[in-house]
Amino acid sequence: MSKIACSHCHLEFEKNEMIVDKEDGRELFFCCKGCHGIYHLLKDEGLDSFYGKMGSNTLEPPKHLLDDSARFDFEGFHKRYVTQRTDGLKEISLIIEGIHCAACVWLNEKILTRAEGVIEANINFTNNKARIVWDENKIKLSQIIDKIRAIGYDAMPYDSRVQEEGANRLRRTNYTKMIVGVFATMNIMWIAVALYAGYFTGIEEGHKDILHSAEFLLASVTLFYSGSIFYKGAYTAAKHGFVTMDTLVATGSTLTYAYSIYASLTHAGEAYFDSVTMIVTFVLVGKYLESLSKKQAIDTLDTLSSIIPTEVAVVNGETTEFKQIEGIGVGEVVEMRAGDVAALDGEVISGEANFDESTLSGEMEPVLKKVGDKITSGSRNIDGVLRYTVSKDFKHSSFSEIVRLLSESLEKKPKIESVANNLSRYFSVTILSLALLTFLSWVFIGEISFEKALVISVSVIIIACPCALALATPIASVIGLYAAAKKGAIFKSSSFLETIAKAQILVVDKTGTLTEGKPKVTDVTEFGTYDKAVLASLVSSSRHPVSEAIFAYLGVKAADIEEAKEIRSAGIEALYNGKKIVGGNIEFLITNGVNIEFESDKTVFAYAENSELKAIFELDDRLKDGALKTVTDIKKAGIRVVMLTGDNEKTAARVASTLGIDEYKSKMTPQEKLFFIESAQQAGEIVIMAGDGINDSLALARADIGIAMASGAEINLQTSDIVLLKNSLAELRDAIFIGRKTYQTIKQNIGISIVYNAITIPLAAAGFVIPLVAAISMSFSSILVVLNSTKIKNGN
Amino acid sequence: MDDNILSLMLFGSLILGSLGVIGFVWGLRSGQFDDEKKFTHGLLFDDEEELRDAAKKEAMQKNTKDENSESEHSKQSH
Repeated sequence: MSKIACSHCHLEFEKNEMIVDKEDGRELFFCCKGCHGIYHLLKDEGLDSFYGKMGSNTLEPPKHLLDDSARFDFEGFHKRYVTQRTDGLKEISLIIEGIHCAACVWLNEKILTRAEGVIEANINFTNNKARIVWDENKIKLSQIIDKIRAIGYDAMPYDSRVQEEGANRLRRTNYTKMIVGVFATMNIMWIAVALYAGYFTGIEEGHKDILHSAEFLLASVTLFYSGSIFYKGAYTAAKHGFVTMDTLVATGSTLTYAYSIYASLTHAGEAYFDSVTMIVTFVLVGKYLESLSKKQAIDTLDTLSSIIPTEVAVVNGETTEFKQIEGIGVGEVVEMRAGDVAALDGEVISGEANFDESTLSGEMEPVLKKVGDKITSGSRNIDGVLRYTVSKDFKHSSFSEIVRLLSESLEKKPKIESVANNLSRYFSVTILSLALLTFLSWVFIGEISFEKALVISVSVIIIACPCALALATPIASVIGLYAAAKKGAIFKSSSFLETIAKAQILVVDKTGTLTEGKPKVTDVTEFGTYDKAVLASLVSSSRHPVSEAIFAYLGVKAADIEEAKEIRSAGIEALYNGKKIVGGNIEFLITNGVNIEFESDKTVFAYAENSELKAIFELDDRLKDGALKTVTDIKKAGIRVVMLTGDNEKTAARVASTLGIDEYKSKMTPQEKLFFIESAQQAGEIVIMAGDGINDSLALARADIGIAMASGAEINLQTSDIVLLKNSLAELRDAIFIGRKTYQTIKQNIGISIVYNAITIPLAAAGFVIPLVAAISMSFSSILVVLNSTKIKNGN
Repeated sequence: MDDNILSLMLFGSLILGSLGVIGFVWGLRSGQFDDEKKFTHGLLFDDEEELRDAAKKEAMQKNTKDENSESEHSKQSH
């Protein structure tokens, strides 16, 4: 059998499974109805040049979307995501799912801008974010979403109002300042070469003046435009009575600048405009590198709330109507369908359904809710329809409680001062007083001219220039961040490298962090021959994780079965060619008249045809690859490892003993995990927390370092400090070890710059060093620091 | 070397250089480098039709703005 590519998505399938269509005598093949429909839609719209642009890229086949786009028109939705502009238009930020190539961006922008009433549609190819401006009188948002869906993509809203904008603007301004500084420095260096050459070989006074005036221009721009942030920083610090690195840079460069103007006007000595631009630019580059990796302030509460619907169906007599959740009071009855997330707490009064409560416990295993059971907000209805009476209003619901605690945790997060920051304060004070002391003692004790004394004290400041110290941390951090990113661990801010290196406790969640988080078939016992396709179709009729795991394990296409019926939390039964087939847990098969004797401490799924046992599958949530090695290595490095899980005592004990974790706690609620971290911090320890689910988010936010799995809950990706892209534990180990290595390098770098200063400052103060030599040796120390930092890259 | 030639060359090249920097900063500030992928791949699809679409869009945006300001004017006159 030959494989052939679908005419729309370009994915390859078996020829006989595809839809065949004829066009202009050519045969077209489609993998599904979705692709077929989109192909013709694009053809009719005259957009089929898309396929030429797409080239050999492939697309995801369109998903069948269950929810309708009506929620995009709800008032609550608009309140949360849509901006009403002053010119009467509306604006929203969306994330477009399914974008694979530049042609996808082109197609989406095309289809949107063609729509009547859409004023602006701009899609960012790098992060798939779209900004859409539309006229509400001409088109509704749901219609816009439908257009995106019709061509096989999907859109999700996100709140961009608080995030990004501000941070981006600041970063852009700083970048501009750095670029201007770099430009000026590069030019001034060429001019300086001419001046230095003139210094040794003689130069006409007139030429020198021209070169100086060019240098003056460049230095002024750098000092007062690019260097303005140092003045601002120094001013703020002075207001609070501090001396910081900014103070040193500002005074040092201003003094040098003023002296250079005086020297070039009076021809009294050499001008050092080049040192001014170099100091400002070097320190700016260090600052920029640091800001590159700085975590952005974001409105996290909104992201967490976005899993909760804005409107829910409230029962009103015979019918239901959608009401905003904020306006629903205690005692009202809410109806939930499969796929809905509960917005409010309550008690079931009719119907039953399986619930995914992973938000609260972290466990994927569904919980069956029947009449009288409690519904907790944030849990998701997997498969049934039920009604419940509301017991708490939205403000007091357990989900709102988590949101409130999360924002508190973020505020309370301890901030650990970095070594360099701590040190630079003392350093700046010392240097400035040394320079003043040098000046005064030369004038009064040494009895030399005012002018010469000034030159000497300026050379003290230039030689002690904080360049090496300012670069010590950022250079090492950036190389550390890069090394970690290559291993798959993304640090949100460079300061976390230092913090993680100092940590004493690692707290880990079990499900999803140490284990895969989903049950997988580990053992199969077969008692006779059976058609795997029939079993596959039986389990595919259920959305229970066990059924899904077995379906994935069988990996075959489904056959046709009849009358498939799921008995919740027990099993599934169906008819196939007149045979009755059943699958489920052991009790369920026994009640169906199957004779079984089987013992296992894992989850069991048994399958029988006509009351004859065919196979038993054992499932377990497997440990991730390398879990044992990671835990052992981390323990060896002197870090205490503690496991906190929402799972039961038995499973927790088994996992802990397999991995050699001595401390563990089971049946932990999100609040209890948070409390554990807080008490460890109160005991003076620095805590790393690694987790994946919403139930871990409080602890992640509060810990000194929160490490989230990329596959985990969205909220954690935002509140955590490190994200592990491959969700593997090897990355966790690498993150800790790279952090330690970086911290060590930072300490070495600071050592280098201090030793350098200890040698050169006395020489400068004694008047042995002219500012020219000071400027050159200053660059030398910076190069040493950079070279020392590159070794983080090599080795583990 | 004549002083005038020296200053002409020096300041002339500095002005040219700063024009380049100003151009770059303008591009940066107007968001042209925000999406590096679109910047490199997107230009493959730049043709006459895109230009026409862009012009049409611009005209429409202007229209909506005029309409809205007109409706505001009429509100004020009432």
